[in-house]
Amino acid sequence: MTHRETLRELMELHGGPGFEEAVAARVKDAFARYTDDIRTDAMGNVIARVPGDGPAPRPRILLSAHMDEIALVVTEIADGGFLRVWQAGGFDPRTLVGQEVVVHGRQPLLGVVGSKPPHLTTPEERKQAAPLEDLFIDLAMPEERVRALVTVGDRVTLRREAMDLLNGRIAGKALDDRASIAVILECLEVLRGLRHTADVLAVASVQEEVGVRGATTAGYALEPDIAIAVDVTFADMPGQAPDESFKMGKGPAIAFGPNIHPKVFRGLRDAAERHRVPYQLELTQGPTGTDARAFQIARAGIASGLVGVAIRYMHCSVETAAYDDIAECGRLLAHYIAGVTAEEVARLTCY
Amino acid sequence: MKERILEWAGYVAPSGSEGGLQEALLGAVREAADEVRVDVLGNGIATKRGEGPHVVLVAHADEPGVMAIHVDERGFLRLISIGDVPAHELVGRQVRFTNGVTGIIGVEGKVKREDIGFEHLYADIGAESEEEARSRVPLGTAGVVWEPLSEIGTHRLAGRALDNRAGCAVAAEAFLQLAALGRRVSVVFSAQQAVGARGAGTAAFQLNPDLAIVIDAAPAGDMPEAPRMALSLGKGPCVKIMDGTAVVPLDVKDHLVESARRLGLAIQYEVWPRGLSDAGAVQLSQGGVKVGGVSYPARRLGGLAQVIDLRDVAGAVRLVVEAARSW
Amino acid sequence: MLLKRLTEAMGPSGFEDEIRGVLRAEVEGHVDRVYTDVLGTLICEKGIDRPGPRVMLDAHMDEVGLMIVHAEDNGLLRFRPLGGVDPRVLVSKPVRIGPEKRFGVIGAKPIHLQKPEERRKPLPLESLYIDIGARDKDDALAAVRLGDVAVFATRYEEIGEGCAKAKSFDDRAGCAVLTEVLRRDYELPLYGVFTVQEEIGLRGAIAAAYRLQPDIAIAIEGTVCFDVVDAPGHGQGTVLGRGPAFTLQDGRTLADRRFLEFMIHVAEKHGIPYQFRRVKGGSNDFGAIHRSRAGVTGGSISIPVRYIHAPAQVMSLEDYRNTVRLVQAVLTELQEGGFRG
Repeated sequence: MTHRETLRELMELHGGPGFEEAVAARVKDAFARYTDDIRTDAMGNVIARVPGDGPAPRPRILLSAHMDEIALVVTEIADGGFLRVWQAGGFDPRTLVGQEVVVHGRQPLLGVVGSKPPHLTTPEERKQAAPLEDLFIDLAMPEERVRALVTVGDRVTLRREAMDLLNGRIAGKALDDRASIAVILECLEVLRGLRHTADVLAVASVQEEVGVRGATTAGYALEPDIAIAVDVTFADMPGQAPDESFKMGKGPAIAFGPNIHPKVFRGLRDAAERHRVPYQLELTQGPTGTDARAFQIARAGIASGLVGVAIRYMHCSVETAAYDDIAECGRLLAHYIAGVTAEEVARLTCY
Repeated sequence: MKERILEWAGYVAPSGSEGGLQEALLGAVREAADEVRVDVLGNGIATKRGEGPHVVLVAHADEPGVMAIHVDERGFLRLISIGDVPAHELVGRQVRFTNGVTGIIGVEGKVKREDIGFEHLYADIGAESEEEARSRVPLGTAGVVWEPLSEIGTHRLAGRALDNRAGCAVAAEAFLQLAALGRRVSVVFSAQQAVGARGAGTAAFQLNPDLAIVIDAAPAGDMPEAPRMALSLGKGPCVKIMDGTAVVPLDVKDHLVESARRLGLAIQYEVWPRGLSDAGAVQLSQGGVKVGGVSYPARRLGGLAQVIDLRDVAGAVRLVVEAARSW
Repeated sequence: MLLKRLTEAMGPSGFEDEIRGVLRAEVEGHVDRVYTDVLGTLICEKGIDRPGPRVMLDAHMDEVGLMIVHAEDNGLLRFRPLGGVDPRVLVSKPVRIGPEKRFGVIGAKPIHLQKPEERRKPLPLESLYIDIGARDKDDALAAVRLGDVAVFATRYEEIGEGCAKAKSFDDRAGCAVLTEVLRRDYELPLYGVFTVQEEIGLRGAIAAAYRLQPDIAIAIEGTVCFDVVDAPGHGQGTVLGRGPAFTLQDGRTLADRRFLEFMIHVAEKHGIPYQFRRVKGGSNDFGAIHRSRAGVTGGSISIPVRYIHAPAQVMSLEDYRNTVRLVQAVLTELQEGGFRG
C-alpha cells in the first residue's frame, strides 16, 4: 500500500480532539513498517521511535503531526430528537449547513446538519449566517430512538470520502493534519535508504485543535534535542495577504520566526537546497498555531522547527492538497535528519 | 455537608487571598491526613498515604473579587477586578474586604449603564480623608461583593461563593471517606482558579497524580430563557465531558459513568463551551495527567450569587468516592 | 553610557542577537559564567555555590519590532509587528532594518489627498509600508531580505529635568539595572537572566525558570506610566519620579503578599521611595516564572516609563537609580536572611 493510499484511509477515519483512538490504531499500523518501538502515552499521543546508527547518546529529533480533526460534541437532545452541538476546534458554521456528519453514539449514526429552505426564509434571514448554537443535526429517527442511542457528550465528526482531483491533488476532510502524517511516513521511507545518526521520534499528536495539548505533554515527556512540527499552512486564494498565500505544488513551506530555532531553520533550508527540494518561506512573528508553539517552551526549551504543505479551504470538509508537496516535504525532512550530527546539536544553545 | 458549605461560603477568599479560608478547609481534613501544607501559590494540600494509585481531588477554594488599587484625595477607593466580575452589576452593592472593612460601590455620574467599566466605579468605605482610607484599606487589599447566604426551598442554597465552597465540601468529605478506606489520596483546595487555574498547575506538578478528579460547579440551564445548557438542578451530579480547558479522556469518563451505574446514581453530562476549570491545567502537567471532572449544577454561575441543590452535592461525594476507590 | 548602549541596540523578540552581544560584553568579568539556553536567553551565574536562597533576577532584552514580509512591485516593503505595536504610532517614523541597520521610513498619504473621513480614522497596518528608497521590488530585495526585522530609529538622549528618552526602555532599563546589580558581589547564589521573547508571551522566562528552579525570583521591568494631562489618578498606572513600582495585580500575576511586604519593608528601611503599579493590564516575566514547576515566590520591581512600546519613551533617571538601589538592597536583605518564605 502506498502512503497516498494510507492518507486516503486516514482522512476517512474519525477522530476529534480527545477521541483519536481509531486514527491512532491506523497510524500505529502505518508506523509499524519502520519500527517495532511504538507506544501510546497518557494523553493518547502515538510515539514511534526509529533508532539512528552509531553509539549512544545520539541526537534525538521529534517529528509531530497531529491526528485529531476539528469535531463537534452533542450538548442537548432537543424536542423531536434533533441534536444541538458545540465545537472542539474552530469551525466556520457557514460551512456546516447541509453537511453530512457521523454521530458517534452507541453506534455510528449518519446525520445531516439541517437548514431552512429558501422558500421559508425571509430576506433578512438570508443575509445572516446562523451561529453554531442555532444549527441542529437531524438523525431522521424518532426522538425515543435518538435518546436510546445518543447521550449528551457524544462526538460528531464530518463525513466525507476522500477524492482525487486533477494533477495528483487530493481533497476531503482532515487533511489538516493527516496530510502531515503522510509527510512523516514519506520521510521514514526515504530515511530507510539514508544513514542517520539521530534517533527519530515520530509522534502523531492529539488535541492540537483545542490548544496544542498533546504536544505540550509529549514535548515535556520526550524532551528531544530538536522538535519539528509538521502542519499544514494556507494555499493561495484571491484576497489573502501575500505572505499568507503559498503555492500548491511548489513544495513545502519552511517556517521562520521567533518560534523557530534559527539553526533548525537554516538546516532545513540548506537540506532543501542541497537536495533540490522546492520550498517556500513562511514568515511568522510570534508563537505559531502549531505543535511548535508548545515544543519550544517545554521544560528548559527545545529547538523547534515547522514545515508543512499548503492546503486550500482549511477546516472545511473539502480541504485540498497536492500530494507532490507531501512527498517532497517528507524527502526534505529525511535529508535534514540525515544531516544532523551530535556536534550540531551541542551548538544549539550557542548564540 | 450543608453546615460546612455555609460556614466556608462565609469566608472572603478572592484569588490570591485564600489564606484564611485554607486554614478552615485544611482543618477539616487535618486529622485524617499524613501531611498538610499550603504551597507558594496558596494551594491547600493534604495527603494520605495508603493503597492503590494516587488519586488527587481538586476543588478550587477561591472566588472572583475586587482589589483596591487607588485612593483619591477624598478617601474614595478605586477598584480593579480579580477574575471575571461584571462591573455593571456592582453598582450599589456592598464590598467586603479580607480585613473586614466594608463599603458601598458607586459609579461616576454621566456613565451609561451598558458602558460601566471598573474605571468608573469607586468604593465608599466611610473614610473622611485619603489618609484614613489608606490606613483602613491598604492598596492591594482584596475583597468580594457581599451577598448573603440563604437556604431556599427544601434542598437548595443560594448565595455568594457556593461556587466552589460546595466543591470544597465534596472534596473534603470524599477525602475523609477515601482515607478511612485506606486509599492513597490527596486533596487540593486550589488557589487562583478564577484568574486562570494558576494554583492547580503547580499543585499537579508537585503531586503528579495517577488520576485527578476536578470538582467544581457547572452552569445549569433550567431557568426561563436560560442559555442552552442541558444541566438541571436536582437531577444529580455531572460527569464532565469537556469544557474550555480539557476534553476528559474516554477511559476516565467511562469509569465515572460506570461508577455511577454501580451506585444506581442518576447523573448528567457536562459539555460546557468555553467553561473554565482546573481540569486543563492539571491534565497538561508534566507528561500528562489522567483527569476527570465531577460537577454540580449551579444557577447563575458567574453571577454574584448562585443557587445549588444539596442532593446534587451529596451525589457528587458518592460518585467521587466510588470512582476513586475503584480506579 | 550604559543606558545609551543598551537602548540603541537592536533586538526584537526572537531576534535578540545584537542586544545579547552588547549585554554579554557588559557583564563579562563581573560574573562567574555566562551562557545562553536554546531559546537564546543569556544566563549569568554569580556565586551559585554559596549558601542561601537561589535568587533569579530577570530582565527581558527583547523589544517590540517589525518584520519585513513582502516587497511590492514598486519597492515598498510590507511588514508585520513582532509584539504589541500600536499602528497609530508608526506613521511618519524612521526605522532601522536588518543586520546592516539600513534606514527606512514609514510614510503616509499626504493630508492633501485624504478625504475628510479618512483623516479621522487611524491608519490600519495593512495600509502602511516601509520605504527604503528602492526603485522596485528587485532593488528592494537586493538590500533587505524577507524575514529581516526592524526597530525604531531613536537616539538615547537626556531631556528635560533628570529624564531621558529612548526607544525600548521597556525593558532595556531593566537590563541596565540588572547589569549594574551584577557588577557588585552578594553573599548568595545569584542568577542574572536576560530573557528573550517576553513581548510575544514571556516565552524565554518560561524555559529559563524551569531550568534554574530558583527559590526566589524578581522581574525588573519598564512599566506603563501615564501621569499626563487629563489622566485621572486611577488611570495613570504609575507616576514618573515617585520611585520603583511594585505590582499588586497584573494580567498574569497576583502579588505574593509575603514577598511584597518584604520588599516594602526593604524600601522603607533603606529610605528608597516606592509606589504601586495601579493598573491591571499588562504583565511581565514574573507572570511566567511564579507558575514554574511547583511554584516560585518573588515579585516584580518596575521602572515607570511613559509611552511604552512607542518610538520615544521617557524615563526618570532618578527612578532608574532608585531601582538599582532597591534591587541591591533587596539582595542585601535576602543574604541577611530577611525573608522567611
